[in-house]
Amino acid sequence: MAERATQPGDCVLEARHLVQEFGRHRVLDDISLEIRRGDVVAIVGGSGSGKSTLMRQLAMLLTPTSGSVSVFGRDVGAAANDLLLRRRIGIMFQHGALFGDLTVLENVCVPLVEHTTLDRSLIEQVAMLKIALVGLQPDAAALYPGELSGGMRKRAAVARAIALDPELLFLDEPSSGLDPVSADAMDDLVLELKAALDLTVVMVTHDMDSLWRIADRIVLLADAGIAADGSLEEVRDSDHPVARAFFHGRRGHIAGATYDG
Amino acid sequence: MNRRASVTVDESTARCRGYWTARYVDDIEAQFARAAWPDGRVVIDVAGIESLDTSGAWLLHRQLQALRDRGIDVTLAGADTRTRRLLELVAGSADAARDPVRPHQPGFLEDVGRQATGQLAQYRDFLHFVGRTAVAIGRLLLRPWRIRFRLIAAELQSAGWNAMPIVGLLAFLMGIVIAYQGGIVLADYGASIYVADIVGLSTVRELAPLITAIIVAGRTGSAYTAQIGTMVVTEEVDALRSIGIPPLEMLVLPKLAALVIALPLLTVFADVMGLFGGLLMANTMLGINATTFISRLSESLTVSSYLSGIGKAPVFAGIIAMVGCFQGFRVRGGAGSVGRQTTVSVVQSIFLVLIVDAAFSVAFSKLGI
Repeated sequence: MAERATQPGDCVLEARHLVQEFGRHRVLDDISLEIRRGDVVAIVGGSGSGKSTLMRQLAMLLTPTSGSVSVFGRDVGAAANDLLLRRRIGIMFQHGALFGDLTVLENVCVPLVEHTTLDRSLIEQVAMLKIALVGLQPDAAALYPGELSGGMRKRAAVARAIALDPELLFLDEPSSGLDPVSADAMDDLVLELKAALDLTVVMVTHDMDSLWRIADRIVLLADAGIAADGSLEEVRDSDHPVARAFFHGRRGHIAGATYDG
Repeated sequence: MNRRASVTVDESTARCRGYWTARYVDDIEAQFARAAWPDGRVVIDVAGIESLDTSGAWLLHRQLQALRDRGIDVTLAGADTRTRRLLELVAGSADAARDPVRPHQPGFLEDVGRQATGQLAQYRDFLHFVGRTAVAIGRLLLRPWRIRFRLIAAELQSAGWNAMPIVGLLAFLMGIVIAYQGGIVLADYGASIYVADIVGLSTVRELAPLITAIIVAGRTGSAYTAQIGTMVVTEEVDALRSIGIPPLEMLVLPKLAALVIALPLLTVFADVMGLFGGLLMANTMLGINATTFISRLSESLTVSSYLSGIGKAPVFAGIIAMVGCFQGFRVRGGAGSVGRQTTVSVVQSIFLVLIVDAAFSVAFSKLGI
């Protein structure tokens, strides 16, 4: 598998000394982290802690004020790398960001049409495959985003994000706005896709249950920096006040109790 | 290195090589079709596949299926766990992928029918909208303290005050052009002095109101549609309704009121700038001095012709505001729809303004104004 130049455990994404300022407000201050292939990494933190900003930087959607990001060992920002890297990255946006004038099927086809020379019928079959893979009924393919429920929209967004079999998948709040059953299903989906497609997943989430079920590693942001970084147990047991508040608050306890058995 | 996916058949073994990923598999079907497949048994050796993704796996799955359908006994060799897992994955969803579902495509007759009924429904809805607006105005006049003067002032600023430079400039240029074109003809007859009549009457009666309305339709009518349309998309209109603020009262009436006030004022400004442009041109090209030009104007321009020009402006304003807001509320879905309705709004309002202007001309000439 030479094109997947990385092996399990290799570093697929590296951020060095990231700083983000909006006006005078410093949202992120000197963030460095490495993400290894095959991990499911959750970026967590309170509202306004800069986790979405960090994800946008890692996903090459926002140029940091200073610092650098490299994906698959290539520096982000060099124009020559840009398209190449984007093909290997999939992003699911929080509200789906599906194109409103296109059906679900056409939405999923967009990356395939742009980046491959396959013929149309094959592209549509592959797109239908992805739509089935995320657990949508075939009939949903003909619907427009406006006709979808929140959960379906997120699934369709995941289908578009994995259209090109990316190696690195970013998920922005995959389970927010979903009922508990759909949120569970979304967690299952992430795990299934990770196993089936050999994905590395970086997600931003608030959902404690998701953290317990699918995250291999947690990066907790607070005060514009990384407050804790490690496995769930490590982060939970760290004595950083934010980590304590996060995992030993009422919600953290309930979710934790379920999974600690 | 050649990354293209390939398959070569050598007696009863087919070797797959290269990158079986979406980028490199585009002619693999043709290769499978071209290959000389033996009858009976074939071993497909996939150990040479460097990289496989779902697209590649789907193609492989489909070709294996096709070979089996031809009665060939196919065995897969050299598949690692990942390859096998991907093949299982696509096989599991194969039924879904077989025939992509598309939205219903209307035929020609159905399309014509839909277009026609859609247009009719749109006219009906527009009348309905105008009616509801009229009722809302009536209600508001009974409770004048609910009039949103602050919003009206803001709309006046953006639709009126901020439009003055562009309206003034275009009217000025229009005055220059009319004086120039008219002056050339009139000079041949030694009747240059009548350029004041031409500039005066055409500007004040027709061109100033029209050009102002057209600019405002493009500038403000489109903004109304885009604003309301985006608010529909982001459910802000529903939010207003839920708080107990009628969207008509908040979004439409202030715009309508502001435009009905602003457009006549802008027209007066366009009158002045147009006449000034004419005067300047008459002065420099035809040597008519300003005093003569103005005294000629005051003879030819009657109050009624001045008022017939200004009088059209509130009607145009009503058309522009109503069409702009109506099309905004017709937005459904997302960004694409906002763009479409904005285009429709500008086209329709300019169209209606020109039609109504023609009707005014006919009416005025019958009435002898």
